Amino acid sequence: MSKDNTSLQNRTFDAIVIGSGISGGWAAKEFTEKGLKTLVLERGRDVKHLKDYPTTSQFPWEFPHRGQVPEAIQTANPVISRCYAYKEDAMHFFVKDTDHPYGQPKPFDWIRGYQVGGKSLMWARQTQRWSDFDFEGPARDGFATDWPIRYKDIAPWYSYVEKFVGISGNKDGLPNLPDGEFLPPLELSCVENYFKDFVKDNYKDRHVIYARCAHLTQPQQIHLDQGRGQCQKRDLCQRGCPFGGYFSSNSSTIPWAEKTGNLTLRPFSVVHSIIYDEQKGKATGVRVVDTNTKEMMEYYAKVIFVNAAAVNTNAVLLNSTSHRFPNGLGNDSGVLGKYFAFHNYRGHISGQYDGFKDSTTDGRSPTSAYLPRFRNVHKQETDFLRGYAAGFSTGRGSHTNTNGFGKTLKDQLFNSETGPWYVGSHMMGETIPKEISTVTLDTQKKDEWGIPQININVGYDDNDEKMLKDFFEQMTEMFTKAGFTNIHTGDSKQAPGLDIHEMGGVRMGNDPKTSMLNKWNQMHACNNVFVTDGACMTSTSTQNPSLTYMALTARAVDYAVQQLKKGEI
Amino acid sequence: MAVTRRAALKQLLYVSAGMAILPACLQHTSRTSLTLKNISVDGDQEKMLAELVETIIPATTTPGAKELSAHLFTLIMMDDCYKKEDQQKWLSGMKAFEQASRKLNGHTFLESTPAQRESLLSAFEAAKDDKDDAAFFYRATKRLTIEAYTSSKYFLTKVDIYELVPARYHGCVPLKPITRKLA
Repeated sequence: MSKDNTSLQNRTFDAIVIGSGISGGWAAKEFTEKGLKTLVLERGRDVKHLKDYPTTSQFPWEFPHRGQVPEAIQTANPVISRCYAYKEDAMHFFVKDTDHPYGQPKPFDWIRGYQVGGKSLMWARQTQRWSDFDFEGPARDGFATDWPIRYKDIAPWYSYVEKFVGISGNKDGLPNLPDGEFLPPLELSCVENYFKDFVKDNYKDRHVIYARCAHLTQPQQIHLDQGRGQCQKRDLCQRGCPFGGYFSSNSSTIPWAEKTGNLTLRPFSVVHSIIYDEQKGKATGVRVVDTNTKEMMEYYAKVIFVNAAAVNTNAVLLNSTSHRFPNGLGNDSGVLGKYFAFHNYRGHISGQYDGFKDSTTDGRSPTSAYLPRFRNVHKQETDFLRGYAAGFSTGRGSHTNTNGFGKTLKDQLFNSETGPWYVGSHMMGETIPKEISTVTLDTQKKDEWGIPQININVGYDDNDEKMLKDFFEQMTEMFTKAGFTNIHTGDSKQAPGLDIHEMGGVRMGNDPKTSMLNKWNQMHACNNVFVTDGACMTSTSTQNPSLTYMALTARAVDYAVQQLKKGEI
Repeated sequence: MAVTRRAALKQLLYVSAGMAILPACLQHTSRTSLTLKNISVDGDQEKMLAELVETIIPATTTPGAKELSAHLFTLIMMDDCYKKEDQQKWLSGMKAFEQASRKLNGHTFLESTPAQRESLLSAFEAAKDDKDDAAFFYRATKRLTIEAYTSSKYFLTKVDIYELVPARYHGCVPLKPITRKLA
C-alpha cells in the first residue's frame, strides 16, 4: 500500500483528475489519449464494468424484498430513500445518509454515488444540448453573470463527445435544442406521436420530440472498440448494463483510458485539499487520505482537474487554503461556494387518453418524449424569469381486480385487464443562481478523515413558485385540449437536490472579480487548476447537464494540454 | 442476512418434503423455518399462515400460494419492510384473527375445514375497513400474498412472462386479443 507513497517519482504525474464520474472519466480519457500520465483519484471503491454489477441479471423474484428497500434502512436514511433509483436492485451504488452526514440549513436532498464511475452508473442518460438561448440567459435577463462562452464555442465539443458516447436522437431542427451527432432514435408511442402532432398543430413555438439519450441504438465502430454493444431495451440501467448499452465512465471512458497505459486509478482516495505553492504561484498537487489506512499522502502533477461532482468540488476548493488563498483556492473574488443552484423538479401532471384502444407498446423503452423549453425563449413574456423543459411519457396501464379470495381471486390475478393509455409529464425548471445559495464548510464538525463537514444552503424562491404554477397551467391546458382526461397535477414539494442536477459555486465568467473560472474552465487565479463538473456552471438552464459537462471537459483538456506544451502552465 | 434468507427459501422445499414424511407427533415444534429480527412468530402460527395464504390463492391445476412460499415471503416482508407499529398491529391482528375463527367456526384456523376457512375469509372480505387489528392482519397478509404470487418465478415464467432482455421496443403495435388464462 505504501509502495506508491514512498517514492516521490511514483507519486508524480502529468495530470491529476479528482473524481471518476461522468466528467472525471472524460478528463481521464482525454489526458491519457494525449499521452499524459494521469492519476485519477476516486474516494469510493472500484466498480469494474460487468464484474461489479451484482444485480444486473437478476429476475424480480430473486430480490428478497422484490425491490423494496427495508424499513430500517429507509428510516435511518431518509434522504437517499427519496431517490427514485434507490431500490433493492441498485442501492449498493448510492451513499447512505448515515455514511457521510452533511449540514442542511435548508432541506437539501444530496444524492451521491461514491465509487468509480460515480453517478454515471445510475444516471437517467438524458443528453440534450444547450443553445445560445441558454448561454445568453444571464446576460439577457440580468442574473448571475454572463457566460464566457457561447454555443459556437462548445458545439464542436458536443459533437466530439456525442460520437464517442453514442447518443440516440432525431434531427429536430429546433434552434433552442440544437441537433447533434445522432444514432437512430427509438420509436415514440402512438400517444406520444399523437401529442407531438397535436402540439405542432396548435402551438407555434412548442414541440414534442424524442428525448435524446446516451443509448447505443446502432453501435458504430468506435463503440464496438470500447467493448460496448447495442442497447437491449432492458430499462434496468441503474444496475449497470451487461451490454454496455448506455454510456457510463465504467463501460466507456475509464477502460478506454486504461488501455492507453497512461492511467493510474486510485480508489479509496478522498482528496483533502489541493496544494498551492506560494513561490511558483501554482498548484503542485493534492493531499489525499487513504480511506482504508487513514494515511494522508501527497500526489503531484503539472495540471489538476477537479471533477469531484458539484458539491464536493466546492468543498475541496474551500478546504484548499494557503497564505495566498485564505478563503479557498482561487477565491480572490469571494464567489467560491456561492451562486449554487439546481433544477426545479417539483411539478408533475398525469392523465389518461381514451384513444388508440387497439394499440399498445412492445418491449421497454429506456427513454421518453421531451418538450424543450417554450417559455421566455425569444423574449421575456411571463412574470417569472426563464422556463422549464418537460418530460412526457405514456404507456398502457393494466388493472387487476384484487377483490375476493380463492379461485375467484386467482382467476382475476391470471387475467388482468388492459387499462387505458396513461400520460404523464414532469417539469425541469431553470433556477436562478443567487449569492445567498451556498456550499460552505462547517467551522466545527469534521468527517472521519478530519475534513470539515459540508453545509448546503439553498432553497426555492418566488420565481420557482411562479414557474411551477405556470407548468401546471400550461400542461393542463395542453393536456385538456389534446383530449386527455382524468388530469391531476401534483407538487412533490421535494427539496432541492433530489433533481440530482446541483450546479455552480465555482462559476465560469469573464471577470475574475465576479467568477472563479475563465472561458476554458481554468481558474483565473491559479492557472493549472481546472473545474469542469457541475460546479463550473454559471446558470442551470433546463437541460439535463451531463452532456455539457462532458463537452466542457474535453474542450478544457484540449486547451490545458496545448498550454502545457507551450509552457504557459 | 438477505442471502441467508434467500438460501432459506431455497431450502424450504426440502424442509417441507421432510416434514411430510415425519409422524405427526414429532411435528410438535414451535420453531419457524426463518430467523426473524423484528417480529416473533411460532411454528403453529407459521402453519396457520401457510393455510391462510393457500386459502387466499389455492392450488388448482396451477400452484397455490403455499407452494410458492407466499407465507414465508409475508413473514420476511412484515419483518423487514413494515414500521414497528404495523408489525405489532399485524401480530395482535393474527391473534384476533384466530379468535374470530374460533368464534365463527369453533376451531382455530388450522383446525377448520376448507369450507370453514372460506366462510371466515368471506366475513373479512365483507368488512370493508381495516380499523381493527384482525382486519389489518387479513388485508396486509392478502396484499403480500398477491405480491408474492404475482412476482414469483412461477407466475413470471408461466403466466405473465417477464423478459429480462426484451431486445426490442415498438411504440405502437396492435393490442393482442386477450385469451383467458386458466388459473
